[in-house]
Amino acid sequence: MIHTIPLLPEIQLRCFRDTRFKQEGLSIQFVRPMRKEEAALNALLPAVLLRGCETAPDLRDITLRLDDLYGASLGAQVRRVGDYQTTGLGCSFMREDYALAGDKVFAPMVAFLEELMFRPKLENGIFSEDFVAGEKRNLLAAIAAQRNNKRAYAHAQMLKKMCSGDSFGIPRLGEKEDVEVITPQGLYAHYQTVLKESPILLFYVGAADPQEIADLLRPIFAKLDRAPVALPPQSPFRDCGKGDVVEKMDVAQGKLCMGFTTPITLRDKDFVPLQILNTIFGGGMISKLFMTVREKLSLCYDISSTCYGNKGIITVSAGIDCDKDTAVRQEIMRQLAACQAGDFTEEELSAAKQALLAQLQSTHDSPGAIAGYYTTAALSGLPLTPDAYAQAIEKATAEDVAKAAKSLELHTVYFLRGEK
Amino acid sequence: MEKQFYPEVGETLYRTTLENGLQILVLPRSGFSKKLCYFVTDFGAIHTKFTMDGADYNVPAGIAHYLEHKLFDMPDRDVTEEFATLGASPNAFTGYDMTAYYFSCTEHFQENLRLLLEFVSTPYFTEQSVAKEQGIIGQEIGMNEDNPDSVLFELLADAMYENHPIQTPILGSRESIAQITPEVLHACHKAFYRPDNMLLCAVGDIDPKEVETIAKELLQDIPCPKVTAQRQWEEDLTVKTPYVTRSMEVAMPMFQLGFKSLPLPDGDAGVRQEIIGDMAAEALFGESSRLYLRLYNEGLIDASFGGGYETIEGMSMLSASGDSEDPQAVANAILQEAAALAETGISQEDFLRMKRSALGRRIRGIDSFDSTCFRLCAYHLSKFDYFRFPHIYEEVTKEEIQQFIKDVVTEKRMCLAVITPNKEEA
Repeated sequence: MIHTIPLLPEIQLRCFRDTRFKQEGLSIQFVRPMRKEEAALNALLPAVLLRGCETAPDLRDITLRLDDLYGASLGAQVRRVGDYQTTGLGCSFMREDYALAGDKVFAPMVAFLEELMFRPKLENGIFSEDFVAGEKRNLLAAIAAQRNNKRAYAHAQMLKKMCSGDSFGIPRLGEKEDVEVITPQGLYAHYQTVLKESPILLFYVGAADPQEIADLLRPIFAKLDRAPVALPPQSPFRDCGKGDVVEKMDVAQGKLCMGFTTPITLRDKDFVPLQILNTIFGGGMISKLFMTVREKLSLCYDISSTCYGNKGIITVSAGIDCDKDTAVRQEIMRQLAACQAGDFTEEELSAAKQALLAQLQSTHDSPGAIAGYYTTAALSGLPLTPDAYAQAIEKATAEDVAKAAKSLELHTVYFLRGEK
Repeated sequence: MEKQFYPEVGETLYRTTLENGLQILVLPRSGFSKKLCYFVTDFGAIHTKFTMDGADYNVPAGIAHYLEHKLFDMPDRDVTEEFATLGASPNAFTGYDMTAYYFSCTEHFQENLRLLLEFVSTPYFTEQSVAKEQGIIGQEIGMNEDNPDSVLFELLADAMYENHPIQTPILGSRESIAQITPEVLHACHKAFYRPDNMLLCAVGDIDPKEVETIAKELLQDIPCPKVTAQRQWEEDLTVKTPYVTRSMEVAMPMFQLGFKSLPLPDGDAGVRQEIIGDMAAEALFGESSRLYLRLYNEGLIDASFGGGYETIEGMSMLSASGDSEDPQAVANAILQEAAALAETGISQEDFLRMKRSALGRRIRGIDSFDSTCFRLCAYHLSKFDYFRFPHIYEEVTKEEIQQFIKDVVTEKRMCLAVITPNKEEA
């Protein structure tokens, strides 16, 4: 059961009380607008905070504290939800019931999180130069390493091209040139702005009473000097023109990515049929794309489609032989045309619905999935509880799905191919 | 079924062995929607030499994985579609020393279980379907060739080992899979998918009795031929080649270091060695170590750095990997730190903290259906009762960890594999 507790203006706590797990999880997210000017700053900030605080001034001190708390884990969380970027810290830790008698885990974990978040180690009143330089190197390496995973790289390149006029085209971790210019002063000033202005989302999952969590967290956030600025609502895809791209690289296998647009977003009532359509089209192992392009025609090893409900974008991505792009592309369009014509069986429809229902039902079986569902729903304005969502899936008809398919329009094709 | 409660982790496990040797584990989880079921054979990519009913077999590399793909075929039926109709998503993976088939679902557990057992125990291969799979697996091999992490591990394994088949990629090569025929697939299925070489494991809100009944009904009559597979390899602890490198389309040099160590024994002793290996890795270069902090501050390693103790049937290694502009310097620093630790020892305080941390992380890990089901299977195959791990942690001493570091982390046992970025075109 989810409890939403407004702690302070623009600071909301969500608690999912659950006694089935051996762990508890707590996260603090600052919500920012996704903007080129600050994407890299937001990505860098939690990494620098995790380098040291007043009471644990280096990485080793931090790990030792976490080890004492039965190997609690703590990580930077930088996410994109539609037009927003969230930046913050998340931790998960063992329930005290499994600890040696007398050992505390929960209260010291919250205290440690507070120290890391609000009392970072400073030098001359700003972030440590070494920490910032070190984490810039890490972030630059992470950005550069995106090339290593060719599928993800191709997909990101396609979205960047397709969304050149939309916040969705800004890479989640920012761009190399934006990271390079960050200074300790600049990052510290940004941190102050984030603390002061950003809406804050807190999420707890675990066995404790939500009211106790609220009472524990409220005084921590009441200390902040706040002048919160509400964010503009999420917006649909903003088109800045079409155009296809071919990029060459020294690879054995080509990657073909296609981006489709639709006016339907997850805030619309037609969104559920769109999701069912995505599942029938390319969402699973019996999708049309998988069954024809891979199984029947052996044109690729992997192929799938993904639905981005915040923007009304569906992408298709396939690993193929470098000389098969035309054939694969034609087959993808043929399968979409079949969906648009309502050319799918009752079994395909029912299987897609069952797959989505199973996914929805098992959301509540993992602490991570619980936090993910409710946080994303809150930020993107998804008007459905899991129950209402499930009902909408069951009610959707073949006509609804075909109608959603007809709303799709091919926008951008990107092909990563070998040099030979 | 035999029922056992493990108070340290608060779990109850049911187990039984059918008359034909099939082993069954069920971990009931009331109040959860998800149900997960693994059907596992003690047969992986390294088991290419065996005798069956007196005849010797030497099968092509990559066959275990090929067989995994082909088992999804059934005469006039589409297994994936049937699972989908039942709201389940089936999948499978092939490792070096095991192959697993599994599904997860929220509804129709019994029907899904029947389907899983049926398709895995129904070999059906035609010349045509076997030939067609070459294209699909050829693509998968291509994908692996572009994946620097796989290439790096394969480089390392090949350089380290003289005889252990870990030198060969799980997928095999385009040449080796070209030799695969329906007859060879049948032979491997008969040899390794016999009930007494398999394990069925289910996790979720499930009645254990029901799993046993269905397994009995469907698998009772499958014959068990007499099979002996090669499971040990003559291997010197000195590496074959100490350094190996290749260039690829990567952003920054990537490295993996391996230190050869002895294969694990079965049972408690094996898990004890695994826990010792893991704690040795943590003490030496884990995030709580002094070395990690120093290398990180000097910029020799970054957040991508990590390591641990890897075990596969017939071998084990301590390993560390990450991105670095100077992998050789990282390797040297690890060797020096190992020598220093072997000399000064690990403090009692550090040792207890590491133990507590490792134990807490394992207990948290039980929340995950997938990792728990996998671990129950993998440890069961090595004849260890997984939920007993808190006892093993209790018994491990710091002297054992120091000795492990002293024995294993030495120059002659070390191999360094490096992938460097392709040179920019002039």
